[in-house]
Amino acid sequence: MHENARQGTFCTTPYPARAELELLENAPGSNPATIREACAVNQEVELIEAFEQQAQRRKDRREFFKAFALTAVAGGGLAMATSVQRAAAQATLTDGDVLNFALNLEYLEAQFYAYAANGVGLSADLLTGSGKIGAAVGARQATFKDPAVAAYAQEIAADERAHVAFLRSAIGATAVGQPQIDIGVSPTSAFSNAARAAGLIGAGESFDPYASDENFLLGAFIFEDVGVTAYKGASPLITNKVFLEAAAGILAVEAYHAALVRTTLDAKGIAAPSLVDATEAISNARDSLDGASDDDQGIRAIGTSSNIAPLDANGLAYSRSTGQVLNIVYLNKAAVTAGGFFPNGVNGTIVTSAAN
Amino acid sequence: MNHDIVLQVLDACDARRAERRAFMKNAGFAVAGATMLAACSSNDDGPGSMITPTPTPIPTPTPSPSGALSDQDVLNFALNLEYLEAQFYSFAANGVSLPASLLSGTGQAGAPNGARQVTFKDDAVARYAREIAGDEQAHVAFLRSALGSVAVAQPNLDLSADVNGAFSAAARAAGLVGANQAFDPYASDENFLLAAFIFEDVGVSAYKGASPLITNKTYLEAAAGILAAEAYHAGLIRTTLYRKGLTTPSLIDATEAISNARDSLDGSSDLDQGVRPIGNATNIVPTDSNGVAFSRSAGQVLNIAYLNKASVDRGGFFPTGVNGTIKLSAAN
Repeated sequence: MHENARQGTFCTTPYPARAELELLENAPGSNPATIREACAVNQEVELIEAFEQQAQRRKDRREFFKAFALTAVAGGGLAMATSVQRAAAQATLTDGDVLNFALNLEYLEAQFYAYAANGVGLSADLLTGSGKIGAAVGARQATFKDPAVAAYAQEIAADERAHVAFLRSAIGATAVGQPQIDIGVSPTSAFSNAARAAGLIGAGESFDPYASDENFLLGAFIFEDVGVTAYKGASPLITNKVFLEAAAGILAVEAYHAALVRTTLDAKGIAAPSLVDATEAISNARDSLDGASDDDQGIRAIGTSSNIAPLDANGLAYSRSTGQVLNIVYLNKAAVTAGGFFPNGVNGTIVTSAAN
Repeated sequence: MNHDIVLQVLDACDARRAERRAFMKNAGFAVAGATMLAACSSNDDGPGSMITPTPTPIPTPTPSPSGALSDQDVLNFALNLEYLEAQFYSFAANGVSLPASLLSGTGQAGAPNGARQVTFKDDAVARYAREIAGDEQAHVAFLRSALGSVAVAQPNLDLSADVNGAFSAAARAAGLVGANQAFDPYASDENFLLAAFIFEDVGVSAYKGASPLITNKTYLEAAAGILAAEAYHAGLIRTTLYRKGLTTPSLIDATEAISNARDSLDGSSDLDQGVRPIGNATNIVPTDSNGVAFSRSAGQVLNIAYLNKASVDRGGFFPTGVNGTIKLSAAN
């Protein structure tokens, strides 16, 4: 039985959310009544099994699509058309708007890793700019036991800091300043709320991403795949070819980071399977925030294959719109302008999450 | 060739690279990164100049001639690379070729030669191989569908473990095997990972370099999705090599040697890094001083795939060349 099931946390939070339940209920072969009842009477084990059935269906879909390439491409074509329509809808955005949006996310990542790796935040000269300037609060140096994980943290911290510096330089005088960032460990912190949404902790409990190698890796996991989908989703919005190629380079680096974190969780998950369960739970929580589409995967093996790279049936990474990315960092599936990791919102012109 | 001396030079070169990288990261946003990073494979006594004659230093990578290229040209170029990757992983993981229905098209149709299934000892590596094989086959199918009737056919691929094969030539250029020795990528978990390492970072730099050449926004976003997948794969392979390298340091040396061999082929700029840690940080992600992944032009990618720093139209992993309009490697 899953640890989550024993704690019974899925149904005591709002987060087996509508979209997730609809996915479960509408999926071929599922029994909506059973799933609703499972939640209503808080039969956690059944819900876990429902999640596992969903994972199985995802696997089936993936293998089906892979076996029948033409069908797969048809599905991908639909997804891409949606994406292009989304780009058209956001066509009034300038490259500066898009890069400033990315800069907010890089502040978040860079500060998390800077504190976790070194116990200190970014220097003040990297935080100035337009908008409402805030502080990164609540973080501290992580307690690492595995020297490899400590070294990974050092590497990612340096890369993310470089991204902040690079974007600030590319944007120039109109670069946004760092907004208020919640990377603390209290029971009401963003990390704790995210972990609670995923069922990793119960009501009133804290999730401390600095407490251990494993918690640090899960904290990193919360961010990394989102960065990949954010840059991919933004790629058609960027008009300047130099910025585009640079953004592609940052996209690649976020994917390397994500793979590093996922591979390490996979390796540690052989001895500690709850880590693998946790990635699936976080992934499902993200999916419950950003709309009905399934654009996220944990690292549970699919048949005899690992699942380090979260990809669609065409072998492509997922896209998220800026609004969907904000759903996740605000920890809110509604259209809002602040919350979660950004208690006062992000700076710039792209500030509102999507209405899901 | 005295491999100890080669390795000493590699180490010295890597130390310089590490110092530069650490300096630039500590100093914040550095402007002269490309120029500074050009040193190791060009005008100092780096490994590039020991493995092959010193290439003529040029200040910046020569961009691929882009004016006349269509999106189809670019995607077909990528399709050739995906055939290579997909067949390597398909044989290594499953012992079989891609289905014939995924190999037809325009140009000179060829065959994947010399590959076979790996007998994996580490079950995790076997799972990784099967995952990547599935992803790369999906890339082939996706690109073929996107290109429709103008998709190129699979060209001849040299995936053999033969002493005269492309893998052995690449490993020899990196100093991993001697003059008449073969490198067999199917012989062990470690050799498989090193062979995968030969390809993966190159795919990332190829898609990044091609990104400004693609005009259609739908193709662009799709290409960004493949770029991300290749970076996930590369991160997976590099992380696994690093972890195994903690107990088998020669694996880390081998990644540096392969990286330097690639750098010796694709011009004077340093576009490549192995997995040796830099100070107290790992180096899973090969980036420039801005934390941005590297780009290669199509010609530079073909330098590596053809294993030739001159401007040629075939060789190495593509004995009869790639299909499509982009087929010439760069003159370095």
